[in-house]
Amino acid sequence: MDLAFSEEQEMLAKSAREFLANKCPKTLVREMEEDERGYPPELWREMAELGWLGLPFPEKYEGGGFSFLDLVVLMEEMGRACLPGPFLSTVVLGGLPIAEWGTEEQKRHLLPLISKGEAILTMAIIELRARYDAASIKTTAVSDGDDYLISGTKLFVPDAHIADWVICVTRTAETSNPEEGITLFLVDAKSPGISTVLFSTIAGDKQCELTLEKVRVPQKNMLGERGGGWGMLQRIIEWAALAKCAEMVGGDQQVMEITTDYAKERIQFGRPIGSFQIIQHYLADMSIDVDSARVTLYKAAWKLSEGLPCTNEVSVAKGWISEAYRRVVTQAHQIHGAIGFTKDHDLELYFRRAKAGELFFGDADYHREIVAQQLGL
Amino acid sequence: MDFLVTEEERAFKKEVEDFVQEVLREVLPPDWKGVDPGPEEEEREDVFPLAAEVWHRLGTRGWIGLNWPKEYGGQDSLAKDWILKEELIYWGIPGMDPAVVQGDLILAFGTEEQKERFIPPIARGEVKYAIGMSEPNVGSDMFALQLKAEEKEDCYVFNGQKIWNTGIHHADWCVVYTRTDPNAPKKSHGISVFIIDPRSPGITLRQITQMTGLDAFCEVFYDDVRVPKENLLGEKNKGKDVSMHAFAIERTYGLVILHNARRYFDQLVQYCKETQVNGQPLSKDPLIRHRLAEMAIEIEVGRNMGERINWMISQGMITVVPSCQNKIHGARVAQDLSNLGMQILGPYGQLDEKSKWAQLGGRMRHMYLSSRAWSLAGGTSEMSRNIIAGRYGLGLPS
Repeated sequence: MDLAFSEEQEMLAKSAREFLANKCPKTLVREMEEDERGYPPELWREMAELGWLGLPFPEKYEGGGFSFLDLVVLMEEMGRACLPGPFLSTVVLGGLPIAEWGTEEQKRHLLPLISKGEAILTMAIIELRARYDAASIKTTAVSDGDDYLISGTKLFVPDAHIADWVICVTRTAETSNPEEGITLFLVDAKSPGISTVLFSTIAGDKQCELTLEKVRVPQKNMLGERGGGWGMLQRIIEWAALAKCAEMVGGDQQVMEITTDYAKERIQFGRPIGSFQIIQHYLADMSIDVDSARVTLYKAAWKLSEGLPCTNEVSVAKGWISEAYRRVVTQAHQIHGAIGFTKDHDLELYFRRAKAGELFFGDADYHREIVAQQLGL
Repeated sequence: MDFLVTEEERAFKKEVEDFVQEVLREVLPPDWKGVDPGPEEEEREDVFPLAAEVWHRLGTRGWIGLNWPKEYGGQDSLAKDWILKEELIYWGIPGMDPAVVQGDLILAFGTEEQKERFIPPIARGEVKYAIGMSEPNVGSDMFALQLKAEEKEDCYVFNGQKIWNTGIHHADWCVVYTRTDPNAPKKSHGISVFIIDPRSPGITLRQITQMTGLDAFCEVFYDDVRVPKENLLGEKNKGKDVSMHAFAIERTYGLVILHNARRYFDQLVQYCKETQVNGQPLSKDPLIRHRLAEMAIEIEVGRNMGERINWMISQGMITVVPSCQNKIHGARVAQDLSNLGMQILGPYGQLDEKSKWAQLGGRMRHMYLSSRAWSLAGGTSEMSRNIIAGRYGLGLPS
């Protein structure tokens, strides 16, 4: 066992922190919340130059050949900085499934484009029930000659309004088992019949309603096997949940640090509020949430990287971190008082993101049910 | 970064699992539900001889003090020591005596003569130890201790009182914290530590019943008790160093609590799978699934924290803060779990093991009571929070 970062991970985390501190100030974060596109293309290009956009893809497709655990190390820093933009959508929801299940042609075409920052991807999963379960997938893909025609409405699709490609989760067959007959397609976002409506969300991130009306997709754009989508989707949800956990742990850590600093500086009753035992104990409890979240994230990410079964570990991580982060940021508000309640203060950025993160790819209840199944209940 | 278990560790774990099976088969009664780690449950008449037998078998195997240097019968392996403890605690095997941790202290502070005298009997599983720290007016404020040890020509003479000394009435030795300099400029100075024989003339023991019903606590009165000078552990008046070290080596306390809780948890899960209510197993009830899963997550998170602590120890890193974090977490988990268990068992949860109607051997009721101590013993959760907030952790001002 070696729980220290490798030299490469150390470098990655350090350079990412410095880069983002420099290039992603909170003024930019706020600006992007208001910006319809939601990311600065210049920064996106620089991230491509740093190799971040291709980090976990094989080198033969112009990727960096890094592990999922390395990606987690990087995304922790992105969460710390509240980095806006379609990184998770493009790299985790778009790139990783292509790298895992794509045909040679799909990989050769899209992975280098992602790595170079020339294609933005996302995945459309959720529909009207707003749940990550098989039964709620109603969007149909009907065979029509050499093509498929996809119709349906997808909700909460991250970054769909700027995406070049959308991996669309569809139903190609209806049987008594809702987990059968699910198929994934790579859909060119400029295809006729696609429209998006941008939502205004609590965290200011960009999520969309995506409507598909008989969108024609060639057979060769099927990702993985016909009808085999549910198994893939479970895997993808694990990646995405852990990637989101990484962002949340980074945010969690940052909130801990700014709140500890504030408690040392803020004077009331003639002394720093951090000298009051109740504040000390609040912070001590917050530190338990932060530090336990991080090691739990790493454990799951390591297992995932090694290709070991990790369904339980991922759900333990997302279930725990979803609530631990909320506890931390809630308590941080209590310690900050009125200043933290202002729009100008950084804390509110994290508070809103903590809730959005909780809801993304399964909240604690969703993951507790998976843990219950893993217990054989 | 990796969470790999080495081949050697895996092999040793297998050996320990075999040992556990041997003990379950040959020593413990059938359908063993397990007991809490620590000396408390040795107060049960049926458990005491079992604990002694296991302690002896551990000694015969050479497994007491696996983390100790080879010259003192150890294997210099923190990892193995922890694997052994984890398995014994999970299965609720009695017998691992506080002597092991006191042995750690003797190895750290003892003279060569003391090591030769005190360590081999521990390693053989022949002697039992207790700890004498608390006093009627000394709880969390431990440096306020008063038990007087006065240096005379040929010995120290003890006068005063200790309390909450668990299991001292069964112990062969007790490591006692005393005041040797009442005029020291700071109260943390002027403290000295001794290894004493609890049967020395002038010592009176009075057992105190814990809320679990076990008479495990003792009040200890010292009345002109003569303690040989060679029993002083560490330097005179430098007992603070010994006490800080004692707290530091208690750093896996949180994990101890969690592994113990894990057994109760697994028993509870099994109960929910097997118990039918309204024509379906309890485990199908969404509320119960939810609450058990919540518990499973908290236990797993605590284990992850513990893994990190063990790794940090193996790297020679200071683990004061993560140990305090894990102890707070572990105690909370155990207390919540026992409450959940009591609620799931319903009115059956009230019964002790003697009732034919008792479920899960009456252990959930025991845990509901005993787990109160886990946020108190070895430093209260509040003291742990103070430590996390202080200079070793968040560096908040005092």
